[in-house]
Amino acid sequence: MTHVDRDDGENPRPRFDRLSPGVAAYLGMAVTEQTDGTGPLALLRGPFAAPAHVVGPDGLTPTGILAALIDSIGGMASGIAALPGWIVTTNLNVRRAPATLFGPDGRGPLQLDTEVLRRGRSAIVTRTSVTAEADGTPVATGWMTAAVLAPNGGPPDIPRPVRPVGFPPIDDPAFASDPTTFFALRDGRNPGEVALELLDRTRNPWGILHGGAMTVLADTAARSLVAGTPATQPTPDLAVADLNVHYLSPGRVGPVVAAARLVGARGPEHLVRVAVHDHGAGDRPLVVALATVRHRTGGAATVR
Amino acid sequence: MPDPTDERPLPPYPPARHAMRLLDVEIERDTDGDLRGWLAARPEIDRPSGGPRLGAVAVFVDALGGFRSISAAAPDWAFTADLSIHLLPTGPVDELVADVLVLRRGRRTLVVEVDLATDDGRPAGAATLSFAVVARPEHLVDVQFDESPQRHPLSPLAPDEPRPVDYLADLGVVSPAPGIATVALTPEVSNTVGALHGGMHTALVDEAAASLGRSLLGPDAETVDVHLAFLELGRSGPLRAEATPVGPPSPDGDRLTVEVRLVDADGRLCSYATTEVVHR
Repeated sequence: MTHVDRDDGENPRPRFDRLSPGVAAYLGMAVTEQTDGTGPLALLRGPFAAPAHVVGPDGLTPTGILAALIDSIGGMASGIAALPGWIVTTNLNVRRAPATLFGPDGRGPLQLDTEVLRRGRSAIVTRTSVTAEADGTPVATGWMTAAVLAPNGGPPDIPRPVRPVGFPPIDDPAFASDPTTFFALRDGRNPGEVALELLDRTRNPWGILHGGAMTVLADTAARSLVAGTPATQPTPDLAVADLNVHYLSPGRVGPVVAAARLVGARGPEHLVRVAVHDHGAGDRPLVVALATVRHRTGGAATVR
Repeated sequence: MPDPTDERPLPPYPPARHAMRLLDVEIERDTDGDLRGWLAARPEIDRPSGGPRLGAVAVFVDALGGFRSISAAAPDWAFTADLSIHLLPTGPVDELVADVLVLRRGRRTLVVEVDLATDDGRPAGAATLSFAVVARPEHLVDVQFDESPQRHPLSPLAPDEPRPVDYLADLGVVSPAPGIATVALTPEVSNTVGALHGGMHTALVDEAAASLGRSLLGPDAETVDVHLAFLELGRSGPLRAEATPVGPPSPDGDRLTVEVRLVDADGRLCSYATTEVVHR
């Protein structure tokens, strides 16, 4: 959700009062608390409308976007559990149900349900299940870990029980564009490499690159490597079945560059390692991710 | 890894047929402190497609990651918070080779990456582990590790101890029904403070998920991936892992996504995992 330098002494004041729209507005998930708001832990539900410009013509929510949604709702549940502290996501993973990777099931609007599995002094673990809003078909499951910190200026003010935040109308056409445009992705030097410029809309309240942007980068780089095509090209026959992300440090400068490397193949799947660096900050490592890319047609696929 | 806040006296450790001793592991440390480890691919840890099964690899990786994190955290201490393991098909091999690198060393967290390969250099998988860094507890101040650089056995089985026929069965892991795996909390599966060993969490998860896969996919189903979060120490036995499918199998009927909850005898959720099970 929010990634600040938890270990190198930087603890900037967040800009929760900033109303400029960002990744949360783009995703448009209207999070609602299922509990009454009086306890320290919140059960949260987030309907995701799966607008066409985000999910594409086939209605499949990309795994990088799913991970961004899990980061957002899991971050909120973790942050509430951490009050009066706040949190940074340290790692997250999402694993898709194989029956909904391709084909008609699990398309369209989704519902995310998040619970806190562990609330410790220094770390919080949440689990999120993702189902199809229409019929409850399981789509994915994921969990994430967040580290507890004491933010300068205190935590954000979150009225309980949590109710959806209303975003004012946004004129910026980027908010009605596909993830490649919204996150300002561009092709790298070769398949498997993708770059991102930091923009105001992709920064979080701490002014650093939103964690969801990193998951979109990792997803895109992994599919591009396996497809053997430039990163911004569509890969309709590929889907990331599993994504595991470790956040190492925050992205502040940019361009941020993701580079994918093939680890190995497993039948119709490829295991891909993605390293994300902040090129403008001396190639500081930001993320290491492992992605399992599955081919639609089954059978052994080859990296081109 | 042991809970560093626990002040109880340490029993003799590890016992003669501990989960670590039943594996045939060797390690080597380079001048930077990074580790290489070898796991002999004995028949008792085979998976149906060949190569060591995930539960055994987890005990191996958890031990290597633990050693590396503790030296990286010094003078502080580190314990495992979560791990992810991805296995690739290798077919029959003689041993797995693991190279362990520290990706990040912060004040409060460590991230370790493990590259897995076969003895002839083919990729066998990858793992990542997160560790929480804490002040070294008083009762662990004098703990010493063999930090000699040359390759040497790690907690070997005594020569007069017979090798197990089946690794998990020897440790008391049973699957009474599809999707269920249980184990009594014995010294053989415990860590230094008497709670369930971290690697054994994953081994139980492996067996619970694989048994569900055998019932839904076929007899040669095997667990190939896991993401596991350690939540609480498993201090009361028997411990029970229960696997549930996330939707039906793939249309090809060759794979299944599973989530697994591991609880102790008091009903506490000790770990939570998601896995992928495949049938070839």
